[in-house]
Amino acid sequence: MPGIIKNISFNMSLDHMFCSRCREGFEPNEKIVNSNGELWHPQCFVCAQCFRPFPEGTFYEFEGRKYCEHDFHVLFAPCCGKCGEFVIGRVIKAMNANWHPGCFRCEECNGELADAGFIKCQGRALCHDCNARVKAGALGKHICYQCHGVIDDKPLRFRGEVYHPYHFNCTACGVELNSDAREVRSRAGYAANEMNELYCLRCHDKMGIPICGACRRPIEERVVTALGKHWHVEHFVCAKCEKPFLGHRHYEKKGLAYCETHYHQLFGNLCFVCNQVIAGDVFTALNKAWCVHHFACAFCDQKMNQKTKFFEFDLRPACKKCYDKFPAELKKRLRRMHDLTPKRIPG
Amino acid sequence: MNEVPVSCIPAAGKMSKTKKIIDEACDLQNPELDLADKSVTSFEEMPGLLNMLNVTRITLSHNKINAIPPGLANLVNLEILNLFDNQITDLPISLSQMPKLRILNLGMNRLNILPRGFGAFPALEVLDLTYNNLNEKNLPGNFFMMETLRALYLADNDFEYLPSEIGQLKNLQILVLRENDLIELPKEIGDLNRLRELHIQGNRLTVLPPEIGNLDLVSNKAVFRMEFNPWVTPIGDQLQVGISHVIDYIRSETYKYVYNRHQSAKGPPPPIEADKSKKLSRLV
Repeated sequence: MPGIIKNISFNMSLDHMFCSRCREGFEPNEKIVNSNGELWHPQCFVCAQCFRPFPEGTFYEFEGRKYCEHDFHVLFAPCCGKCGEFVIGRVIKAMNANWHPGCFRCEECNGELADAGFIKCQGRALCHDCNARVKAGALGKHICYQCHGVIDDKPLRFRGEVYHPYHFNCTACGVELNSDAREVRSRAGYAANEMNELYCLRCHDKMGIPICGACRRPIEERVVTALGKHWHVEHFVCAKCEKPFLGHRHYEKKGLAYCETHYHQLFGNLCFVCNQVIAGDVFTALNKAWCVHHFACAFCDQKMNQKTKFFEFDLRPACKKCYDKFPAELKKRLRRMHDLTPKRIPG
Repeated sequence: MNEVPVSCIPAAGKMSKTKKIIDEACDLQNPELDLADKSVTSFEEMPGLLNMLNVTRITLSHNKINAIPPGLANLVNLEILNLFDNQITDLPISLSQMPKLRILNLGMNRLNILPRGFGAFPALEVLDLTYNNLNEKNLPGNFFMMETLRALYLADNDFEYLPSEIGQLKNLQILVLRENDLIELPKEIGDLNRLRELHIQGNRLTVLPPEIGNLDLVSNKAVFRMEFNPWVTPIGDQLQVGISHVIDYIRSETYKYVYNRHQSAKGPPPPIEADKSKKLSRLV
């Protein structure tokens, strides 16, 4: 559409020449603009809209009229449905709008649709892959991240995506995988980015990965080791309320773990001295419990800790100093009773 | 420091040490006073102690104190009073008025009697009277009115019978009667349903009231010590196998029959075997 203006200045018969705009003739030696055989006074060769000369001589023609670039765009050029700018050059007409080829993209994956074609899905333009996935998703099925086909059976999860298991082989034995395959994300001695491997169940079980004591499944993230077992962080829970400890203190009793609240509720650890529920560390001995700062000799109130040696006197702790001060005849009796009593020391 | 001169105290060195501890506790507003094994013979050696109204614990174990001044009861915030291993023969009645006293240790003293009204403590939880010269005849009438009591230590005394009022101590969790002269236990002991520690070893017991079967003395949170008694043969035989067998037997119909027969054909009580003449609490 843009035409080139040629300034013609030649002396020929002016009698039969008229300006295409004002229909007047030309004076001898007057400049004449010739564009595709039509002639103009230079002052008449202007934009039909703004009556100004064409910048750099470039004009656009529409229905016999000439316009400067700006006015042509304002009047006639299509606007992009996405960015709102004029579309110059190739225009994609789709979804009742005009688009720059680069602006017309899949609403799911943002891939260009201009040459790939698109499918209208619930008022949205989608590429074929996304359309298939959305449709499958609506049916409750997964779409393979590799072949984009619908996964009819159980998918294989790998690096956060789902796949047909048969696209992969076991890292160890090379067998084609099924959905039982396990993804290993981290292992002792490997940096995190070295891992992300897939193993068949048989090889995976042989790798010595800890098994959770609650769900019996391997633990690939953080491992909690307690009560002589390994646990998924979220599976190491209070035996009473079943809330995970998530790193909070737990209390063990008879092979079970409890949160502070339920341990006290169930086992009533009241301090022998203050008779209050023991918050924090507990000393348990002699069928009794103490708070840390109340664990003391019952006879001189001297504070004791877990390392202090003490003697038992009527199931109360006596420090060595106090025991030594006991009357000799009492100690003799106590020793005799102790020696003759069948051993059953309460925990 | 302006030392207050105190006369007629022989161990002046020790005394000033005691005073220093008290002064320091006063300065630091320390509510706990440790005065164990300081050769204290009398409260007069501890001037200022009776004015420390904020004190919550006083430990005076292993001293030679023989009398408690009635004014001690003015320490209204006192919760723990430990007088273990002294030479106390008399207690002031005022002691039982102390509003916050929770733990009172009078073990290893020379108490032959408790004052009238002793059982009036409003908040006492642990009472230790181990190794004194007490028996059922010299307990005050209201002794078993201490409803707040959770532990009662009466080992190494001279009880032959335990008053049936023991059943009123509903909160009792620990009852220690080791090495008394007990001939029998009252059936009311079966009312102490919170009891989880019962020490009756070293007495003259032959049978147990069947009501003792009401108590939970065989769980892993309970302790029942009953050795060194002249038990009737079936109880003695069960004890050979274990405490739980004794309790099972006590709970049986067979035992109720054995017990009733034993009670109706009561013979003389077993003799006192223990020689208590060497007990320090006997010394005067």
